[in-house]
Amino acid sequence: MTNQKESTRTTAVALQQSSRRVGSVLISGSTVFALILLILFFFAMRPDTFLTFVNVRNILYQISILAIIAGAQTIVMVVGDFDLSVGATSSLAGAVTSVLLLQEQGLGVALLAGVAVGLAVGLVNGVLIAYLKMSAFVATLATMTSVVGIAYLVTGGTTVFGMPAEFNQLGQGRFLNIPLPVYFAIGISILIWAGLKYTTVGRRWHAIGGNVEVARLSGVNVRWARLLAFTLAGVISAIGGILLAARLGSAAAEQGADNTLFSVAAVFLGMTVIRSGASNLLGTLVGVAIIGVMSNGLNILGVNAYVQQVVTGLIIIAAVTLSGLKTRER
Amino acid sequence: MRNKFKVAGALVAAAVLALTGCSSSGSGGGGGEDDTFKVIAFTSGNQTPVGAWWVKAVEAKAKELGWELKMVQGDFDFQKMNPAVESAIGQGADVILDGYTDNSSIASIVTAAKDAEIPIFAQDAGTEPTDSFVTNITTNQQQIVDKTLGAISDKIGGLEGKTIMVIGHDPHAGIRERSRLAVEALEKAGAKIAGGEIQQVTNPGVGRTEALNFVADYLAANPNGLDAVWAGWDDAALGAAQALAEGDSAAPVTGVDALSETIAAIEAGGNMLATIEQPWPAVLDMLVKDVEEYRKSGTLPAKDFVAVDVTLVTKENAADITPSDKLG
Repeated sequence: MTNQKESTRTTAVALQQSSRRVGSVLISGSTVFALILLILFFFAMRPDTFLTFVNVRNILYQISILAIIAGAQTIVMVVGDFDLSVGATSSLAGAVTSVLLLQEQGLGVALLAGVAVGLAVGLVNGVLIAYLKMSAFVATLATMTSVVGIAYLVTGGTTVFGMPAEFNQLGQGRFLNIPLPVYFAIGISILIWAGLKYTTVGRRWHAIGGNVEVARLSGVNVRWARLLAFTLAGVISAIGGILLAARLGSAAAEQGADNTLFSVAAVFLGMTVIRSGASNLLGTLVGVAIIGVMSNGLNILGVNAYVQQVVTGLIIIAAVTLSGLKTRER
Repeated sequence: MRNKFKVAGALVAAAVLALTGCSSSGSGGGGGEDDTFKVIAFTSGNQTPVGAWWVKAVEAKAKELGWELKMVQGDFDFQKMNPAVESAIGQGADVILDGYTDNSSIASIVTAAKDAEIPIFAQDAGTEPTDSFVTNITTNQQQIVDKTLGAISDKIGGLEGKTIMVIGHDPHAGIRERSRLAVEALEKAGAKIAGGEIQQVTNPGVGRTEALNFVADYLAANPNGLDAVWAGWDDAALGAAQALAEGDSAAPVTGVDALSETIAAIEAGGNMLATIEQPWPAVLDMLVKDVEEYRKSGTLPAKDFVAVDVTLVTKENAADITPSDKLG
């Protein structure tokens, strides 16, 4: 009788553990499953269109700039912060580069100036957050507001255009029939991934994101590392903004605005990909792909833009919920 | 201690005198008892090229005509703009000018102006007559649609059986109205609306990118499936034209606004076929004439809604047009 009870209890525990494991696997793989399901769904709906070379290239082209800016957001979120100014920084960098080109400055000078804008905004964010102890939310919200204002001043409130063809080529040119921004996105993503995984500073960022006090007690210069993360995020956002201006052949004060929300969403979506539930570049790219595939697929199916917005919001909620479960599980 | 009381007493007396002075100079509604003609002007669209021009142009007119002008720039933020205008109304004015701010967004301003019996003269502040304004001078939306669709029809050999994408943005009253009219006219002409409905840009700040994606995705799903794109404003039209060029499609695109970038694209002879010039300086002149008439004789404009003619900008006349972003 006792043996029977023991056996029943063991079976129940085993079942419980097994169902927990299944739940855990479902949560772990949910983002990747979601991407696969989305691709299968849209392929089933439009088999003649969705996975054609032209459309896949389309998707890659559409998400390339977001992938770069989401990469910047990933670095900051690895450290446990976030940056609301990435979209505004990208717009300002694109605007400064474009205006300088229109003033007949050389391409190199204009590009460097654009990147310097990102460096400056990132530094300001870093100093405010790491050294003046402002919350990332308040600091980056404030810099975002000012940066948008500066972008309006730089562009004179209008859309600037007419940049030289060699600049536009950066965003519109193709190599092996694939748009150049796709290569830039891949290159920058590899650098960020390698930097986060294999460099000392990358490991320190992870340590700070994991537990800032433990990191500090282990000898990590937390303030310097956070400053570096925000500065690098500013520089990468600026590169994204410059490419966006080249891709559109024009620059306006708020043309990168959407990228802030979508970059945060992509990082949250990506947080469910790895076991630790932390921000990670590969996960972010999966998140970016989900956003891109969904937008492209819904456009192809002719779904109303307002409905698309609702669906995007729901997916973000689902992602945040899943990453919350993941963190709790950890 | 006695000195402190003396200082406090002096401060209270100064404050009372200052407040008395303020209240006697701002009698409200009628704009005061002196001869100064007080005008409150506001626009939510000061961050657009035309809105920015309007601010400067109204300031110049005020200087020229000796108005005491209070300009409120709203930055598309009605929560900020409306109280600022209402507060200015509380200080008293003779006339209110509304530039490019739709009637539906300023109900509290309209109420405050009515209570203070100050007339509102509006420029492009809605597409239908309303009792909110003593006059609203805008452009003829039907004519915009007729001229742009006429250009498309000429280019592609008629509209019947053709697939045309319409790109709109419903929160903007003018774009909403002309997009609706365009769909109506296209369906009447036997054309098919690409995607079955107006493609709505959700964020005009990134309208070009959204329009680019609409067209690129549609072309990916329907290669050579577009005969033309009609866009409610130039920024979206430019995005659509870029997507068509990248997709090796020769489909023409029309916009509205006559931005310098659009005019350059039309002159370059690519997919950008035409745009519409709206004569905003002439509209402002008409509005100022009405205001001056009211100032002199107290006569309000005869019509509460005026829709002026527009000009189709094509390759033929592009060189003669002043772009809307180069007005001021």
